[in-house]
Amino acid sequence: MDGGIEQHLAAGRHARAFDLVVPAFQDRVFRLAYSILKDRAAAEDAAQETFVRVWKALPGFDGRAALGTWIYAITRNTCLMELRKRRPTVSFDDPDSDEAFRAAASIATAPAEDPERDNLLRMVDTLPQNQQEAVRLFYLEDRSYEVVAEQLGMPLGTVKNLLHRARKRLMELAQPVEVKAA
Amino acid sequence: MNTSMHAGPCADYEHEIVELAEGSLPPEKARGVRLHVASCARCRAWQSAFADLDAGLEQALPRPALSVDFAAKLESRLSAATRLSGRTDLRASAEGEYRLALEALRRGTRFSAIVGAMTVVGICTAGLLLVRGVAPDAGPLFAAFAGPERATTFVALGAVVALGALAWSATRGFLPMLRLRA
Repeated sequence: MDGGIEQHLAAGRHARAFDLVVPAFQDRVFRLAYSILKDRAAAEDAAQETFVRVWKALPGFDGRAALGTWIYAITRNTCLMELRKRRPTVSFDDPDSDEAFRAAASIATAPAEDPERDNLLRMVDTLPQNQQEAVRLFYLEDRSYEVVAEQLGMPLGTVKNLLHRARKRLMELAQPVEVKAA
Repeated sequence: MNTSMHAGPCADYEHEIVELAEGSLPPEKARGVRLHVASCARCRAWQSAFADLDAGLEQALPRPALSVDFAAKLESRLSAATRLSGRTDLRASAEGEYRLALEALRRGTRFSAIVGAMTVVGICTAGLLLVRGVAPDAGPLFAAFAGPERATTFVALGAVVALGALAWSATRGFLPMLRLRA
């Protein structure tokens, strides 16, 4: 995928390489950011920040790692910094704040739209962070273990185990509700 | 969904059932797993629950897309970063030149001070020798240079000249720095 990019990089044509990097990676960078941040706008902002960092660091890219691996590592770091910046709790003191609006909207609309879907999403939110990321990314990336492994910077076996444990846990969580309903 | 799922699948088949669902099992192994599932109620229930969960996740997890103006936003962000980077480079360059100029000024000042001190000592010595040659009985002025304490006199005179030169050097060396920093 990034053969042309690497040729430009090898020739020191960083600007031309970057022009190819953005369309080649923007969707995956965005999806990776979304799987971590769980918010479309924040993910898009993180994707932009990632590419600004890539643009600045591209002349120093030495090719020891694959370009994708390097870009996804920058994406994860950008997202982790964003997560650290976020406040741990949502405050309703300011009813006009975006967080308060989103949280209130989510509570208000959750039961009315699709209870099963919302229940499943809530269960996903109870998983450990790394399992949540793997689950979201797996389904966003058309169930490709390889892509998820590259994006999360993990060995393939680790990703498979992570997903297996996550889905097993979700089945356990879903069970009492379904048994009760039956 | 029935309650037999509580027990989970047979341990040997847990991963194989997932791989069967994902179509990643070799045909021979897939046939064996299918035969087992057909004869095992627990595994059948688990397989069904897994399929439900898999389909549920596929439908429930949001699939956000990048906004159409992502590239335009990125371009403007990069332009801003370039301008900022340009200003930073310019400032760093100016500061570097200032440091170099200041260092050169200090070096030049020290050199001038040393040359100046040596010149002053030389002129003073030559002047004294000249006066002594022209007027050997010039009175009390030469008593100090001709008496038994003449060595002390010369050392004291040299020290005064050297201190004066150093003071001048310090004045030239530090004042420009203070002025430029302000």
